[in-house]
Amino acid sequence: MSKKRRVAITGIGLVTPAGCDVATTWARIKEAKSCAAGPITIFDASGFSTRIAAEVKEFDQLPQIDDLKSLKYASRAHRLALAAADQAMADAGIRPDENDADRWGCVVGAGMMTVDHTEIEAVQKAAAPEGDLIPDRLLDLPVANDVMAFSRSLSTAGLSLLLKRYGIRGYGSTVHTACASGGQAIGTALRVIRRGIADRVLTGGFDSMISPVGLSGFCLLSAVSPDNDTPERASRPFDATRNGFVLGEGAGFLVLEDWDAAVARGAKIYAELAGEGNSLSAYRITDSHPSGDGPIQAMRRAMADADATLADVTYLNAHGTSTLMNDRSECAAVNAVFGDRAKEVAVSSTKSVTGHLIAAAGAVEAAICALAVRDGIMPPTANLQQLDPDCDVDVIHGVARQKRIKVALSNSLGFGGSNNCLAFRHPADTAELVAAGH
Amino acid sequence: MSRIVITGIGAISGSGHNPATIVDELLAGHSALAPIESWDATNWPAAIAAAVKDYNGGKLLGDRKLLKLVRRSDVFGIYAGAQAIAQSGLDSYRESLDEAAVIDFTDQTGCYVGSGGGAFEVNYDFFPLMAEAGDSLPQFGKELSNMVNPMWLLRSLPNNVLCHVGIRHQLKGPNGCITNHVTSGMLAIIEGAWALRENDAQRIVSIGHDAPIEPQSLNYMDKVGLIANDDLRPFDTEHNGCVLGEGAGCLVLETEASAAQRGAQVLGEYLGGADASEGEGLFAVRADGDGLTRTIRAALKDAGIQASDVGMIVAHGNGTIQSDASEAHALKTVFGSNMPPVTSFKWASGHLFAAAGIFDVAVGLEAIRRGVVPGIANLQKLANDCEGLNVSNQTRAPQSDVLLVLCRGFAGTNAAVLLRALK
Repeated sequence: MSKKRRVAITGIGLVTPAGCDVATTWARIKEAKSCAAGPITIFDASGFSTRIAAEVKEFDQLPQIDDLKSLKYASRAHRLALAAADQAMADAGIRPDENDADRWGCVVGAGMMTVDHTEIEAVQKAAAPEGDLIPDRLLDLPVANDVMAFSRSLSTAGLSLLLKRYGIRGYGSTVHTACASGGQAIGTALRVIRRGIADRVLTGGFDSMISPVGLSGFCLLSAVSPDNDTPERASRPFDATRNGFVLGEGAGFLVLEDWDAAVARGAKIYAELAGEGNSLSAYRITDSHPSGDGPIQAMRRAMADADATLADVTYLNAHGTSTLMNDRSECAAVNAVFGDRAKEVAVSSTKSVTGHLIAAAGAVEAAICALAVRDGIMPPTANLQQLDPDCDVDVIHGVARQKRIKVALSNSLGFGGSNNCLAFRHPADTAELVAAGH
Repeated sequence: MSRIVITGIGAISGSGHNPATIVDELLAGHSALAPIESWDATNWPAAIAAAVKDYNGGKLLGDRKLLKLVRRSDVFGIYAGAQAIAQSGLDSYRESLDEAAVIDFTDQTGCYVGSGGGAFEVNYDFFPLMAEAGDSLPQFGKELSNMVNPMWLLRSLPNNVLCHVGIRHQLKGPNGCITNHVTSGMLAIIEGAWALRENDAQRIVSIGHDAPIEPQSLNYMDKVGLIANDDLRPFDTEHNGCVLGEGAGCLVLETEASAAQRGAQVLGEYLGGADASEGEGLFAVRADGDGLTRTIRAALKDAGIQASDVGMIVAHGNGTIQSDASEAHALKTVFGSNMPPVTSFKWASGHLFAAAGIFDVAVGLEAIRRGVVPGIANLQKLANDCEGLNVSNQTRAPQSDVLLVLCRGFAGTNAAVLLRALK
């Protein structure tokens, strides 16, 4: 097989609970004082077993988007996506034009909840007053006839908004593998460039499940932390007292470019997106295998794909959700993969600050890895007071570590057993490899 | 690059529970479109659909316990997957291996799923709780665990089929779940084939599934003007919309070396595929078929063949005026006057949405292997703007063993796949 095309990360956009842009989010993540969570304000959650979440606080202050027609069918998650994608495109400093629009792709990881609660409520009130849907009542119910509500509900609505906004006309796809969605979207984008069917891809993830039905799903499974009185401490990955994740929302976007094209136009390059590994646990729908089987293959595949050795890996941005089982099984996987070298890999979970952004998590954490590589800074894990002995890895806590990163990895492990690992390489190292003919 | 072969196919729709029966139904001119039975739709302006007949979830799954963890759409996906995997002999081969070889085999076997599923139906499970709580969200929160199935979220995951097919058939390699509406299933084939080309796996199970026949979806689509009130007539002058179908399709793809090593029967070869967007909005379709034209040309290039090599085309042919006309335009642009026989299956099985493309690939492969291009049985007179399209209401013979299948969806997305039938 011919040599793989290399892929550069040249643009980043972030809208997270930690901040509505890259600089604010990154500063708060590096500081890692506490989780950006609090009592839920988006709706009255006072009756729920978990009443806290990490919300995007300045949602109303996101920059105005000058496309009112499209905005009519943009949901909260779509607005987050548009804001983060706008940042990433501006940061990359390049847009599709009529000559190369079909050489641009767009791959997104989109959340599973697409209908606004007000609409669910309106349908229930009028068409299911006693709990059972009476279909005939939909026929002249305004909300059930509202084309904009229908548009918003479609799984491709987010992709459509982005394609149209930037005039992208090549490969377009939407993926959803629960909490692995963002990572798998970016992995797919990497492959699309390597295949030679696109030169640039806008890729990322967006999600907001902070709604009555969205939160319900996690409360029913007892997957979210019930620490309602201490929201800032509720997300504490790897801590012995952890008891579930904190639901977050937001979006992360990257602009990926063919390496040579990025170098030729003098683009600033955060990092090389050097590899992706992808595996299915095929074990149970929510449980991860205690041995780390599944994530082990994903990490090994990512390193092999990136042509990286165990010794190359400086930093791992863990999936680290702060659930009992995930953190334990993920740490078992790290030890299985790195063996004697496991303690030489610095590990942190930035979900300790941002909460768990579900379909956006992998994309936001990919952006964080790119920033970590650029700055030579590995962010700490907030809220870690007492390391779980079953999480026997080198967890960064307290203050960020300054160290040049050769290779960083980012894990995203989803309900349903999809595991994704992305590998990022320092751009100077990539430039050397390229110069040496690799 | 090793050749990629197909060693198993599966399909289910209103027309039948396997590809052979579905092709028989197409050849006999039988349509599965019928009045909706899943709710009383007598007052509905458009009240027909192509529902799967003799539906028994537990039986289709072959595992009644699994029924509480999945939805109707998932049942179709898991069923089509089991059917294609049985034909390919993947399970029996794995079971014949020793422990060490099993690990390698499962790590080298992946799964890509194109998933539809309901944006609305999942919320219906909350209606009893909402009726109980009235306007009070605090009450909603308090009564939640008393009134909603604790497994609700797991039953609602779009990636359920990937998870359960993976567990049942021990597929542990590269995987993906594509939720790109109509093109999802076909993208599952294209992405799966790339995983083989890129040497990330030796075997890939690609599945697409959907079950969109439910009141809210039908009402919205009717209001957008997409639904026909009496019949789905691809490319006919009387065409006035599409009709909902449901079901799934599946292909087992593997490297030629893997199939040879297992002694598996080879049904066809995957030649290439492509995907492109028009990017002009959610419901916008360019009249000149630009996105589809680029997609077909990119697929031919990917396959390394010429337009003149294609012997049979399964068009998207969804029966809406805009889509049919622009599709005809694209086909005329690419094939000119040397167009091979073109058909569409939606007149019989309705529109399977996320499963549409992969269903057409599985059924199309069955047809071309039998040497038939099933006619569009209800075609009477070609629409004016579809003039020049090589369609017929009669069964014809393919011009070669190369099959092209097209698929188009909301957001101006287009996908195409090229296969060679092997006997």
